[in-house]
Amino acid sequence: MVAVTAVPFAITIGLAFTNYDLVRSADWRFVGLDNFARLLADRQTPQIIFNTAYLVIATTALETILGLGLAVLMASAIRGIGLIRTAYLLPIMTAPIVVALTWRAMFNNDAGWINYGLSLLGLPEPTWLGEAALAMPVVIIADMWTGVSFMAVLLLAGLLALPVEHAEAAEVDGASSWQAFRNVTLPALQPVLFVAIILRFMDAFRKFEGISVLTSGGPGIASTPLNLHIYNTGLFYHQIGFAAAYGVVMIVMIAASVGLIYLWLGRSR
Amino acid sequence: MSRRHRRRRLLSAVILLLGLVFIFVPYLWIFLTALKRPVDAAAVPPMIFSPITTKNFEALVEGPFAGSLVASAIITILTTGATLLFGVPAGYAFARGKFRGRRFFTGWLLLSRMVPPVIFIIPLFLFFHRLKLVDTYQGLTLAYLTGLLPFTVWMCASYFQDIPIELEEAARIDGAGRTRTFLDVVLPLARPGILTVGLLIAIAAWSEYFIPLILAGINTTPATVGLVNFIGIDTLNWGALAAGALALVVPTFIVTLLAQRGMLRGLSAGAVKG
Repeated sequence: MVAVTAVPFAITIGLAFTNYDLVRSADWRFVGLDNFARLLADRQTPQIIFNTAYLVIATTALETILGLGLAVLMASAIRGIGLIRTAYLLPIMTAPIVVALTWRAMFNNDAGWINYGLSLLGLPEPTWLGEAALAMPVVIIADMWTGVSFMAVLLLAGLLALPVEHAEAAEVDGASSWQAFRNVTLPALQPVLFVAIILRFMDAFRKFEGISVLTSGGPGIASTPLNLHIYNTGLFYHQIGFAAAYGVVMIVMIAASVGLIYLWLGRSR
Repeated sequence: MSRRHRRRRLLSAVILLLGLVFIFVPYLWIFLTALKRPVDAAAVPPMIFSPITTKNFEALVEGPFAGSLVASAIITILTTGATLLFGVPAGYAFARGKFRGRRFFTGWLLLSRMVPPVIFIIPLFLFFHRLKLVDTYQGLTLAYLTGLLPFTVWMCASYFQDIPIELEEAARIDGAGRTRTFLDVVLPLARPGILTVGLLIAIAAWSEYFIPLILAGINTTPATVGLVNFIGIDTLNWGALAAGALALVVPTFIVTLLAQRGMLRGLSAGAVKG
């Protein structure tokens, strides 16, 4: 079992030190750190790294905050909680390609529902998929459809598993409901919060359909993060060695961010 | 109930309702567009309601997309079967076995969930070309396993750990061997959990796009890739696109509604016991 994951993993890291190219696959050799030197010199690299950080941080932060808010509201709702929870499960289970295609149609400039809705309200209608500054927000909004649902459902389950007496006791003792939430409920929710954030982070790093189909990573490379860039470099332009070097950068970024989240939320477990 | 309390309750109901609208609108788009004539589907300004037609579905059945739905079903069944076949016994070994390197394997399981598929796909792509596995069901199943097996082992181990070990010890005292104990005592008790894991794997395999984009070919293209390849995203043939999307969504809807109770645990990698 280790073989099916460990061997490809090791090979990718190894390939990062070669000049392997699909077009000239017969004559490849080790080139040391050449790929990494080229990567550092590449004018696209800073933008790609920035896009990755933008995507991962924005989606996780927004989805955690909104999901937590919804989970708290759902936990205190009396009626319809089962139905609401089921509704929030559906986006999580919908194929990402369907999500991407649907949002692509909804964000369409002329025939899309979003600009139509904005026009009815008398608001400006931006060319969502054509402007560099808007491409990433479009990706993030579409991601939130799945991500907020995911967070809400998971954190709701976490909230419902907590004993309510503790927060109630704090309120009886004179704490406001915000204080009770901040100082009693939230710390108790920390283990579930930690896992949910880690899982969402992983999903953001590996996000593919929601970018390649929704914005094609553009305009230009305005919405291309590492995952799509590795795909483009390696499997579209056939530069396997160079793509693998970006892969190593991605592994380092993931390891560093998981480490940071662990230090922040995971320690007291 | 104080007025402040009541106002807060009203506000929370409004927010929850807005959340439901946000979730519901894309589904509404898929459903309504799938029933629209081509001229209405991409009309400017958009038509929310328009004459209903089943033309989009008829076109799908006649075109290559229908075949890709069959391919999706084959891949889903093969992947779910293979993953459970290897994952369930391995999960049991993790839950109960005391072997050297157990901690190493546990760490490895978690790590392999964290590494994105794009890291695995490049070497797989090279192997598969050399071994002639591209565009075969065996090859695709093998590739899906790399992503899904660690998850399966992890979840199955968590379900097996919930079963009291005393039950197994009692069976052993009664003379049942290790295999008998596993098949007749442990497996029936873990069945609900294994079923949930199986359904989650099936949904993941059915929805997978990235792996078949690279490793499937004309004979094995599943519906996720077929949606883009056979219908196209730049043609504005939205009626056909929405009909195809509906065909992909409906099966997962049914499974989700049937199995929703147990799914939370799988979604949270065991952090939430549902």
